[in-house]
Amino acid sequence: MQKGFLEGIKRGETVIEARGITKRFPGVVANDRIDFEIKAGEIHAVLGENGAGKTTLMNILFGLLQPDEGEIYIGGQRVKFRSPLDAIDLGIGMVHQHRKLVSAHTAIENIILGHPRAGKILNLKRAEAEVKELCERYGFQIDLRAKVWQLSEGEKQVVEILKALYRGAKVLILDEPTSALTPPETKKLLASIGAMAKDELAIIPFITHKLPIVLAISDRVTVLRRGKVTARLETGRVTEKSLAKRMVGREVIFRIERARVERGKPILQVENLSVLSDKGFLALKGVSFSMHEGEIFGIAGISGNGQHELAEVLAGLRKAEGGQVIFEGKDITHSSILERWKMGIGYIPCERIEMGSIGDFSLVENIAMNFYFDDNFFRRGILDYRKMRKLAGEIVSEYGVAAPSLGTKAKNLSGGNLQRLILARVLSRRPRLLIANLPTQGLDVGAIEFVRNKLMEAKKEKAGILLISEDLDEILSLSDWVAPIYEGEFMGIIPGEEAKRESVGAMMAGLRLKGEET
Amino acid sequence: MRIGSYELKLEKRLTLTGWEAAIISILAVIFALALFSFIFILAEINPLFAYQEIFSYAFANPYGLPLTINRFIFLLLCTSAFIIPFRAGLWNIGMPGQLYVGALGAFAVLFAFGVKEFRTSDLSPEILIPLMLIAAALGGAGLGAIAGFLKGKFNINEIVVTMILNFIAFWLVSHMIKEGGPFMNPGGRGESFELPPSVYAPLVMGLPFTIFLALGAAVLLYFLFAKTQIGYQIKAHGHNPAAARYAGISTFKIPLLVFMMGGAVAGLAGYHYFAAVPGVYKISRNYGYFGDLAFYGMICGLISLGNPLAAIPVALLFGGLSIGGRFVQGKLNMGFGVDYALLGVLMIALVAFQFFYRYKLVLSPSKGSYG
Repeated sequence: MQKGFLEGIKRGETVIEARGITKRFPGVVANDRIDFEIKAGEIHAVLGENGAGKTTLMNILFGLLQPDEGEIYIGGQRVKFRSPLDAIDLGIGMVHQHRKLVSAHTAIENIILGHPRAGKILNLKRAEAEVKELCERYGFQIDLRAKVWQLSEGEKQVVEILKALYRGAKVLILDEPTSALTPPETKKLLASIGAMAKDELAIIPFITHKLPIVLAISDRVTVLRRGKVTARLETGRVTEKSLAKRMVGREVIFRIERARVERGKPILQVENLSVLSDKGFLALKGVSFSMHEGEIFGIAGISGNGQHELAEVLAGLRKAEGGQVIFEGKDITHSSILERWKMGIGYIPCERIEMGSIGDFSLVENIAMNFYFDDNFFRRGILDYRKMRKLAGEIVSEYGVAAPSLGTKAKNLSGGNLQRLILARVLSRRPRLLIANLPTQGLDVGAIEFVRNKLMEAKKEKAGILLISEDLDEILSLSDWVAPIYEGEFMGIIPGEEAKRESVGAMMAGLRLKGEET
Repeated sequence: MRIGSYELKLEKRLTLTGWEAAIISILAVIFALALFSFIFILAEINPLFAYQEIFSYAFANPYGLPLTINRFIFLLLCTSAFIIPFRAGLWNIGMPGQLYVGALGAFAVLFAFGVKEFRTSDLSPEILIPLMLIAAALGGAGLGAIAGFLKGKFNINEIVVTMILNFIAFWLVSHMIKEGGPFMNPGGRGESFELPPSVYAPLVMGLPFTIFLALGAAVLLYFLFAKTQIGYQIKAHGHNPAAARYAGISTFKIPLLVFMMGGAVAGLAGYHYFAAVPGVYKISRNYGYFGDLAFYGMICGLISLGNPLAAIPVALLFGGLSIGGRFVQGKLNMGFGVDYALLGVLMIALVAFQFFYRYKLVLSPSKGSYG
């Protein structure tokens, strides 16, 4: 294939132009006549919910998929990619969300892996010097001799970017560039992206839900919805709200009003509960609290501070080391998982694929996970699949699970749809106590709003909800009580109205609430 | 790939209907037979003639057909014994051991009622035969339960446990039937005492009634997985044990249950071969051969993708070809092991063709060359 279409390309000249890209998968048009264009020195974001067709478009631009219709022009020349190798040769680099690096090798070894010059004899010293120069130019700080497994997610991403740049990329496709980064890492990355754009590189970030990032870095943004372009905008003229509207197709409420519900009867009392982690140390160290009907009890904390173990011990998936759990006046400390489902405790796990669903099962069979034991759904050991299908049809449409049919396998659902399915299944049991473990993590704007609204509805129906989230804003806006957790202990339990962002943040980092000595 | 003005492409399948799977399997069989015909050509035998001999002996010959059917019953039971734990995501490779213990159980009933010594019993066959069946099933289930219990309670690998139990059961049979063993044949030929004709398994149209057990078990299992609560729990456990546990399914009871069920069915296979096949009616000296044959249950189960009904034609084919293969080997003076070589080629072809369960070839008019 011809190379060098992009040699000496100047700022403002079109680098990639895609016209009328259409890609169909059985039952769905993933990309429907999409036009996309990017100029050298530009940052052109592609925004869309899960399932909007972002990944398909990205894979087409990188040569992983071939479009059914449409044309791609690179530097004005018509091209057809047979594989990513063609795209790489033409100067397109890709930074995957799920890193594709060899973790036992060093950063520099990963960067030169696959480079044509690294064919026979390795000249690591020269390569290192060249890569160092790139680092300095764009402000990347990284130890090139470190093994990849020692690096943080942000550093691994830097390695992928350097790999693409060293390969001579003029176009960088970034898949969810900030999704795994801490705030300081995000800040640094954005600065580097800016520096690269100044250097005539064209950068295409694909973003699902971090709208502020889009506004902060991009010059232009193309919004996708259901496979079609719904807007192509100059970023300077848009707001977060208007972007979200284009993306979801309707107004999105970013702040949900905390529903006022009369405080009901006590529903759950936890006394001095301690639990071991998988590694065998005490992850939860004697936590006590109580919950009432119609209350959301929010647990704020950075992951790994015992909140996961708390969720699992309440769901019955983990054994309590000490203490007791009383649900509606009954000691359930040693009750089985099944007993807890039957008495009205519902658990939404954070591991949606590994635990929350069965990939090879249809939607109906997945919904049956919470009903196979229900007296209304079997007689003499035979499941009433007809009734199950009817229920599934109802709740799938109520919860807006987008799937071709009820026979669709769960593994073919997007992340947001899978969470809708899990939520639908658990909530349709009308649990008295709902344990929601990271219910909105990784979802797009529309799905997050949906999940939060459903939690509020459950609250209005007098369910007690234990909400575990790493999103402090979510905890603060939804919870009636906020309990910041740090190293397996609550740093205090504060009424939701009084909880301030700063003080809760400090407690999540280990500062105990004043006046509470334990 | 391009052929003339057409383009041949490999596409991923999203769904696979039962019919498509059946057609792919039939193509695989044809492919395997075509491949194996080279062996006949090398031996200077016309492959068409050889296959005609194989199939007509196995499926149309008055001597061959009953042999095929008996082997089919045995294989189908072993396949079901494999499939039950397989659907729960567990591997039962303990069919040999389970069927040995099953056979011992059946003979123990006769031993207990003094049949060995007196060659007859006060009890009528209407009572003795059901007792033998129950004992065979219980024996197999008991051995299976060991693997299921260890898996469910301590998460000990079921493959290793069932395999080791195979050795134990093999030598247990040896201990029981060889010289000095309680089930020893009075003639001491290294085999067990023979069944008195009164407790020979009843024949229906010349075939042991166990054919109804085998077919019935397959149909029941199909129903179990498709419709019942317990079947649902087994399948959930098979696809995702963590999700099953989350849904309240016991990760202790399911392994125990499936291994007991699988073991019971394998125990019936033991009853079938040593107490129901005409001309055997004893635990023969070469009982290990039938243990080895039981592994074909695993292959039939894998080929039929765990579907107990699909296992019926597969087991019939394997049973027939092993009988027919052995026959031509003798008749055409071929080298030893033609039957097993044929089964091996068939097995590899069926497994290789499962590639087409996930992909399909699509022939479409070429759109011309790239710009």
